[in-house]
Amino acid sequence: MMPIWTKSGKKHAVTLLKVQDCHVLRYISKEESGGKTSKLLVGGKNASPFSKSESAMEIFKEAGVPRKQKVTTFNVTDDALIKPGSTPLYAAHFRPGQFVDVTAKTIGKGFQGVMKRWGFKGQPASHGQTKTHRRPGAISTNKASKVYRGKKMPGKMGNIYRTSFGLKVWRINTKHDIIYVNGSVPGHTNCLVKVRDSKLPTCKDSNKNPPFPTFFADGDEKLPEDLYDEDVFQFTDPSVTYA
Amino acid sequence: TRVSSDGKPAKFQPPPKPVIIDKQKQREERRFLSPEFIPPRGRTDPLKFYIERKDMIQRRKVFNIPEFYVGHILAVTAADPYANDKASRFVGICIQRGGKGLGATFVLRNVIEDQGVEICYELYNPRIQAIEVLKLEKRLDDNLMYLRDALPEYSTFDVNMKPVSRLDHDEIPVNKLQVRMKPKPWSKRWERPKYNIKGIKFELPEKKMKEAQKWSQPWLEFDMLREYDTSKIEEKIWKEVSEELKK
Repeated sequence: MMPIWTKSGKKHAVTLLKVQDCHVLRYISKEESGGKTSKLLVGGKNASPFSKSESAMEIFKEAGVPRKQKVTTFNVTDDALIKPGSTPLYAAHFRPGQFVDVTAKTIGKGFQGVMKRWGFKGQPASHGQTKTHRRPGAISTNKASKVYRGKKMPGKMGNIYRTSFGLKVWRINTKHDIIYVNGSVPGHTNCLVKVRDSKLPTCKDSNKNPPFPTFFADGDEKLPEDLYDEDVFQFTDPSVTYA
Repeated sequence: TRVSSDGKPAKFQPPPKPVIIDKQKQREERRFLSPEFIPPRGRTDPLKFYIERKDMIQRRKVFNIPEFYVGHILAVTAADPYANDKASRFVGICIQRGGKGLGATFVLRNVIEDQGVEICYELYNPRIQAIEVLKLEKRLDDNLMYLRDALPEYSTFDVNMKPVSRLDHDEIPVNKLQVRMKPKPWSKRWERPKYNIKGIKFELPEKKMKEAQKWSQPWLEFDMLREYDTSKIEEKIWKEVSEELKK
């Protein structure tokens, strides 16, 4: 995470996400998947092919791509389909000023008690409490004579998929394929993360003109090494002054 | 008068000038790498530090950040939208340098009209217009937070102080000042060995000093897992940074 300053002098915290060897693996049509839109399977970082069974490796062999650490599905409209196989996906697929949702597995905390997991207040430390300082207390009423499903109790915390919505993209580095995303993102450092165009109704306007269907490196467009949002203070400019 | 072979009087030849070999310049140039360039120990990808360093060098090319340590007296002019001149100038002694990478900060302390003021500035904040070093002197410690509990005369510095002129010597003078403290209670127990402060003149009784030594942890200096040898990393980063700045 890094600080980034706007032209008006405000500071924002930014998370760096690296796009590492992303390829499209397979196209699943609307009828096959049974959903409203067709899906595209996309694979992430490269990994060794020796620790997976033959049946799992079939998808990668079909696409002609080394084995990927993580495979995710994206719901895609029919006009934005990409042919699976050789075309890699780059960070320039996103542009500064867009809004993005980031999904990842949260940091696993193991088996945790009710105070850490659900934020219960516990009991006082002194004034006669016998062996009760971090316990949940009462779990149901007398009339119910049962415990409801989904009662908040101690258990394994973390290591589940969570999404942070509506994160602004401030800057993109095309040389190293890095996306600078506003705020914090679930997961530990160097964990695998799924980045998707935001579905929030307030962010629909900013996602109007993305590179469609994606950014092709061998195409005609030659992008500069760094793409900045219009508000971001670039370090090549002189210091900020208020007139 | 002497007569040369031509017969005319010889022109006065001055004696040859003595060649002065300045041994100071022949000594190696002092290497100073700002502490925020050194990456902290952790499992982050070194690519992140490389990209952060590129940004830091880019900012240093546009805006000069002088070499300074804890104990120097600095004057910082920062852009302020609510001030009259839209710029505010603060003079103070640097008591702490914290943070790594772009978020590096330094805290300046001064006593203005009997009120102690500490301001934490970010080195790479674009609102800072100028940083001038008014007086160069290192102190015995890396962290002068104890000045909060010292007598106010040790933290007062004249706001209109003129910069003390200094030749380009290699060594920065170390001020071995022992500071006198206000009566206890202090904000932190500075006599305890964990802070390792050498710049205070403790006027506490011997008994209290011995009792403070109870909290010493002599095994810490032998702990191998805490060792973080930065010499090789510093060499590499120093080369990279100096080459980029010369361009």
